[in-house]
Amino acid sequence: MRATPLQTALLYAAVILTSAILVFPIYWLVITALSQPDQLRQLPPSFWPSEPRWGVFKKIFEERPILLWLGNSALAAIGAVTISMVVSVLAGYSLSRFRVRGGQSLGLFILTAKMLPATLLVIPLFGIFRTVGLIGSMWSIILAHATLIIPFTTWMLKGYFDTIPRELEQAAMVDGCSPLGALFRVILPVSAPGLAATALYGFVLSWSDYAYARTFLTNAQQNWTANLGITTMKGEYVSNWSDISAASILIALPVLLIYLFLERYLVGGLTAGSDK
Amino acid sequence: MASISIQNVRKSYGALEILKGFNLDVADGEFVVFVGPSGCGKSTMLKILAGLEPATSGMVKIGDRDVTDLAPGDRDIAMVFQNYALYPHLTVAQNMGFGLKMRGTPREQIAVRVAEAAKTLDVSHLLDRRPKQLSGGQRQRVALGRAIVREPQAFLMDEPLSNLDAKLRVTMRAEIAALHQRLGVTTIYVTHDQIEAMTMANRIVIMNNGLVQQIADPDTMFRKPANLFVAGFIGSPGMNFLRTSRHADGRFAVLGEMLALKVPESVDDVIVGLRPEHIEPGKGGLTFEIRPTLVEGLGSESYVYFDVPEVNHLAAAGGATDDGRPPGRIVARLMNAGPVRVGETLTVSVDPDRLHLFDPATGQAIPKEADRSW
Repeated sequence: MRATPLQTALLYAAVILTSAILVFPIYWLVITALSQPDQLRQLPPSFWPSEPRWGVFKKIFEERPILLWLGNSALAAIGAVTISMVVSVLAGYSLSRFRVRGGQSLGLFILTAKMLPATLLVIPLFGIFRTVGLIGSMWSIILAHATLIIPFTTWMLKGYFDTIPRELEQAAMVDGCSPLGALFRVILPVSAPGLAATALYGFVLSWSDYAYARTFLTNAQQNWTANLGITTMKGEYVSNWSDISAASILIALPVLLIYLFLERYLVGGLTAGSDK
Repeated sequence: MASISIQNVRKSYGALEILKGFNLDVADGEFVVFVGPSGCGKSTMLKILAGLEPATSGMVKIGDRDVTDLAPGDRDIAMVFQNYALYPHLTVAQNMGFGLKMRGTPREQIAVRVAEAAKTLDVSHLLDRRPKQLSGGQRQRVALGRAIVREPQAFLMDEPLSNLDAKLRVTMRAEIAALHQRLGVTTIYVTHDQIEAMTMANRIVIMNNGLVQQIADPDTMFRKPANLFVAGFIGSPGMNFLRTSRHADGRFAVLGEMLALKVPESVDDVIVGLRPEHIEPGKGGLTFEIRPTLVEGLGSESYVYFDVPEVNHLAAAGGATDDGRPPGRIVARLMNAGPVRVGETLTVSVDPDRLHLFDPATGQAIPKEADRSW
């Protein structure tokens, strides 16, 4: 049935409105970064700064060790995602393929771990890390982020592996692969979209963490992540929102770039199964 | 190439018994088809042969080797799956050469053997494509190519044609049969399609509820079914069944006529099996009149449905004798019968020697005199 012009117009209006709602905070972040501090509080608000402060990004790099913080964030995220992917690929595949006694209960237990709020684990993790001497070390947040990411990624990957026909690994085993060989030579390459989506999810979870970094990295400024560093730009009496916004844009950029790089896999993930 | 021996193989999942003791010897180069309804255990048996499922008990030998506990890759067999199971991230050539690569065959040799197999199956022009760029028939050819390129001891095929459309299925059926003739590799083929079984097999194994019902060549399977299940399963439309009991004079009432059926004297109740194609227009050995309730004309032949006397109704037979027709309604497959109309009386006949007799208590066939051992 063809849509009437009114229906088409309403559809477009809904799409434009939704997009505007989603894009507006990003737009506001950008103009906050580019505006002069005194322009930020003026009424009516200005929707584009009269003299954009393009130099604000250079200023951030000069005044703050933002590259170091970004590097720390990347290290934490890559470390946590690497550990999480190794664990959750094997765990998700096992949950998807092997029927073992208690396997279903174990799967549900992982699912309940997923439901715990991250802050609930801060105190026990702090106790553990203090005991083993990891407080202040990057390993503390790498491991803490991994504990947060693994339950999610295990279930995401289990769901993805469930959609892959068992005959694929059976064919690989008849062709001479061991069960692990079939996983690495056939199932994982076929699962690239699922792996990309899962890894991106884990990366964003780690990248956006504040609570764990605040608790475990204490005052070791050289280990601060970008999120932690940015909060130090907010003073007790004075906050330069332009600088904070500019730093926020810099922190968001890596995630955006990774998303753009993985986009074709992610879209592939959405359509996977339609041609199997 | 090798013979295959399956000795008393059983398979259970907890209390659920899928295979209840499977025995079969397959000769070198033979084409054996496992056929039966869904859930009869035929695919499970094939997976046990392939090493993809462990047997609960029993032994599997390929050639002289006991392979019961060997990994699938160590059994030197190749398998073709129902959904092709081509590796989607590899090209056709890589798919076909995968098994050789896993066995450490040199790259140049893989290329030569893949090219040969591709030529045999007429897929040489597809070698650089990925599976998603192929049609269903092409995918099936590539799956066959992946199997033959390894030159294994045996081929195992799990309903390889059931995802194809009817026309392509007929073509591929002939191709697989021709391929078997050319290569002479021992093949075990699983299907639920009796036409595939009848047209391709040297021998058919009919299974039901985890039990082998009969092992025979297609002709014997059709002419001498071992029991009601086999009789009802093989043939299209399926065999008609009529119930009858011995009268005081020792004869049995069949379709309004009194017949002296050749059954042992101890047998009082009999199920008579009558193939639809053995009912012929006009007078003959056992002649009776029918009043068609439904006529399906197919051009060269007609399926004519009619009701039989109540005394011959087979009540609540179930299983293979339950073909969905109302009790007491049977079908004749008439060739060149001329115009047949619903409600108009028609004279037809059956050669009494072509009737099949079964024991209602056991469902087993009552052998004809020539075949009896008592």
